[in-house]
Amino acid sequence: MKPYFSRTTLFVLPLLLGSISTQSMAAADAADSVSVGDPYVRAVPPGQPNSAAFMKLHNNSTARHSIISADSSVAKLIELHTHVKEGGMMKMRQVKKIDIPSRGETVLQPGGLHVMLIGLKGGLKPGDSVSITLVFEDGSKKVIQAPVRKMKMTMDMKKRMH
Amino acid sequence: MKSFGWIFFVAAIGVLMGWVISQWMPAADRPVSLSDAPRGGDFTLDAPNGPFRLQAQRGKVVLLYFGYTFCPDVCPTNLALMTQALNALTGEELARVQGVFISVDPERDTLNRLTAYTNHFHSSLIGVTGDPDELARIAAQYGAAYRKVEGESQGGYLIDHSSNTYVIAPDGSLHLALPHASPAQDILDVTRRLLAQTQSDN
Repeated sequence: MKPYFSRTTLFVLPLLLGSISTQSMAAADAADSVSVGDPYVRAVPPGQPNSAAFMKLHNNSTARHSIISADSSVAKLIELHTHVKEGGMMKMRQVKKIDIPSRGETVLQPGGLHVMLIGLKGGLKPGDSVSITLVFEDGSKKVIQAPVRKMKMTMDMKKRMH
Repeated sequence: MKSFGWIFFVAAIGVLMGWVISQWMPAADRPVSLSDAPRGGDFTLDAPNGPFRLQAQRGKVVLLYFGYTFCPDVCPTNLALMTQALNALTGEELARVQGVFISVDPERDTLNRLTAYTNHFHSSLIGVTGDPDELARIAAQYGAAYRKVEGESQGGYLIDHSSNTYVIAPDGSLHLALPHASPAQDILDVTRRLLAQTQSDN
């Protein structure tokens, strides 16, 4: 009876697998190293041309990574933006990249960094989901699904003494 | 008598030196006097149902915010906070409060767009805009600042702007300016305080 695997295969296979795994570790791209938490897109009224996506970016690797651009079919144009408060004014500015420090976190949140969706092709209703592709400095990409959320319009009811 | 003359002389020198020093101090270091603070005041702007006159709001607390609807984050954040406060009021209180969104971008913000925008937040909120010169005058009156910025985004011009919520008392006077992203509770507290004051005055 002929063995299913030749002796050579049996000998080479573990080596081959090993090399693949070490290779993938060495070449772990930015998209694999960065995890995205709690992404969401802000719901906007009908006819409103722009919105923004927010999320938490966590870098699980020892190298710094950056998002250099983003893409989504819901808008004509996507830019990376931040806000700076200067001279009593809120200034929205485009940024070239969003860095995520090694083993660190960068939070995209209202009043700060955000992925700006410009020229929305349709309305964004709560409950919709927006697919956004994040492009990293090494060209690797990550596709995320961001639910559309309406801002909180009611206050938390705290027990207050009157 | 001679010593009395001396005292007078020294005092005079002192007063003179004080005056000289106060004149030397750069303007920025001098404490801002009350007359420098924005005073607010009446205005008339275009609203979806005819002109909006602040004067016609006497007896109400007016919450005033300057912004533009292309703003994806800063304006919605503040209007959502204002809405949270409005939603916490009783019906009776709400009838005595008027939220106003002044668009400083009349070029793009038509009255129809403003209506769709304000309705997204609270049905009682009113969106107004008008002639650029008039808007500039009103902003200066309230101490609001804004500036058109070209070339920053491929999506069109942006507007840098201050992000205060101006609280106008029922007598039409500017009560205070709440800074950007002031919690809804702060907006609610000051609104209720002003409502209670006018209630007890009557």
